[in-house]
Amino acid sequence: MVRRPLISVVDDDESVRESLPDLLQEFGFDARAFSSAEEFLAADLLDQTDCLILDVAMPGRSGPDLYRELTVRRQKLPVVFITAHRDENVRPRLLAQGATDCLFKPFSDLALLSALELALGMK
Amino acid sequence: MKREETLLSETEQLFKTIFDEAGTGIAVVDLFIGEPIGNNRALQTMLGCSEEELSHFATFNELTYEPNRQLDAELFNELCVGRLDNLRMEKHFVLKDGRSVWSNAIFTLLRDCDRRPRYIIVIHEDITERKRALEKLQAQEQELRRTAAFLAQAQHLSSTGSFAWHVSTTNEITWSDELYRIFELDRAAPITTELIRMRVHPEDLAQFDKTVHEARTTGKDFECQYRLLLPDNSIKYLRVVAQATRDQDGQLEYIAAVQDVTERHLSEQAIDKARSEVAHVARVMSLGALTASIAHEVNQPLSGIVTNASTCLRMLDADPANVDGARETARRTIRDARRASDVIVRLRALFGRKDMVAEPVDLNETTKEVIGLLRNELQRNQVAVHAELANDLPRVAADRIQLQQVIFNLIRNAADAMSSVQDRPRQLVIKTENGGDSVCLKVQDTGIGVDPEVVDQLFQPFYTTKNDGMGIGLSVSRSIIDSHNGCLWATRNDGPGATFSFCLPRHD
Repeated sequence: MVRRPLISVVDDDESVRESLPDLLQEFGFDARAFSSAEEFLAADLLDQTDCLILDVAMPGRSGPDLYRELTVRRQKLPVVFITAHRDENVRPRLLAQGATDCLFKPFSDLALLSALELALGMK
Repeated sequence: MKREETLLSETEQLFKTIFDEAGTGIAVVDLFIGEPIGNNRALQTMLGCSEEELSHFATFNELTYEPNRQLDAELFNELCVGRLDNLRMEKHFVLKDGRSVWSNAIFTLLRDCDRRPRYIIVIHEDITERKRALEKLQAQEQELRRTAAFLAQAQHLSSTGSFAWHVSTTNEITWSDELYRIFELDRAAPITTELIRMRVHPEDLAQFDKTVHEARTTGKDFECQYRLLLPDNSIKYLRVVAQATRDQDGQLEYIAAVQDVTERHLSEQAIDKARSEVAHVARVMSLGALTASIAHEVNQPLSGIVTNASTCLRMLDADPANVDGARETARRTIRDARRASDVIVRLRALFGRKDMVAEPVDLNETTKEVIGLLRNELQRNQVAVHAELANDLPRVAADRIQLQQVIFNLIRNAADAMSSVQDRPRQLVIKTENGGDSVCLKVQDTGIGVDPEVVDQLFQPFYTTKNDGMGIGLSVSRSIIDSHNGCLWATRNDGPGATFSFCLPRHD
């Protein structure tokens, strides 16, 4: 049996945590949602996670902070960033750091799907 | 014969004494001999010569200041030949030691019985001292004129005029040229208090009269500022610094400088205006940050809506359709939509704050802060502010920034309401009161007032008489007060104007 890829979502916003996992399930993925970087790391699902969806701006450790830390730990995972702040400078920077994509909320389901497929294809 | 001889000898003696002892230099010229035959001690002293030396025309010639020699000689000759009987001239001598001596020379011709020129009597009055004094005086006068010219120029450059007011004596007022120019009055006009009053701005007359009265009665130094209203309706701002002095008779006199500070005043006004604009821009920029913040806040639930709706469609497209799942996503969609709407309402009322931060707030302090922010603007619009803040005012639980915004709004509205008022003082009274379990603030103005019939319309959203974006409107003010469990209302005053009041429950 082919294991469904596990997507871990880290976002401090409740609406996102509520809605994304169901959509990801419809895409054919398994999904878990966490409200902070700390919560995600504490859950110890790093090895099982195939791709991360990270919110950029979060209280405590930000999405890019978490990504940098994973890189330093050599536990890098494919990442798709999502953000509600429309800042033109953010996306190129994150892409340069190795992120697969950075989507602006609200993003379409198709945009998310294609980013995830690209991320998983790279694994 | 002897008696005649004695008489003659006595007369001779008499005149000889006069001749010898006279303080004025005298010389006698005998025209038959053609030389000066006599000169007195005074002349010898004056010219620094001996009696012998002065017995020759040549000496007189040599002593004469060189450029004058020819003319002096020609004039003297007119006497000698009898064409003139009298001659007066100022003679310039240069003595042997190089000193200059001036004389008022009076020449008188004496004729013989045949009317022929016989003697010339020359009187030399030494006017050297007087001449020197005159020269010195002239030099001083010139220096004075130069100084006066510099002073006038300095006054002109600095737009400062000056006046002297002889209070105790003639009540005469002397003005410098520049002051005439500042007041745009004819230099020929004698200056009186009445004339000055004609130029003083009507709104400043009371203060002006008061200052004049006090100056007259107390005799103390004073400073004051007032405006001029000129015939072309332009306004000048003046600053007067006056010092009391006593003249030589001990009488009270004021010496004053009057400076036209219109330009500085206008610059200050411009600076104030620039300051408010900077504050406005800062506000707008933070509004930019606010907008970004709003976008951020709204994009979250929107994202939820899009995601949920996408999920919903996929669930319904599945085979079999996941209706329960779809129902749940629909429910979430509605909740997210409500979230988005709440965000808008909340942020509009909060005007920059993500969350309402409630803390114990001293309304007196907050009021003073806002008055401080608006002080310059109020002064500029001639609004007199009186704060009657209650002692021991209990604190309220409130968002201090929001309350500031409300007070700011009320004060500005009051100032606006008075902006067209000309015939009465623009008075703003701000009161805080302890109302038992509540705390109240009242803003009272003397403006155009409110119509009790339609007063509620003022609090409607989008009701605006002026909107320059600097503050929040009455509708938002009311919603802020409402959200604090308070109440905001407006009443008409007994006199002119309106009073806007709000009450808040006390915190401690």
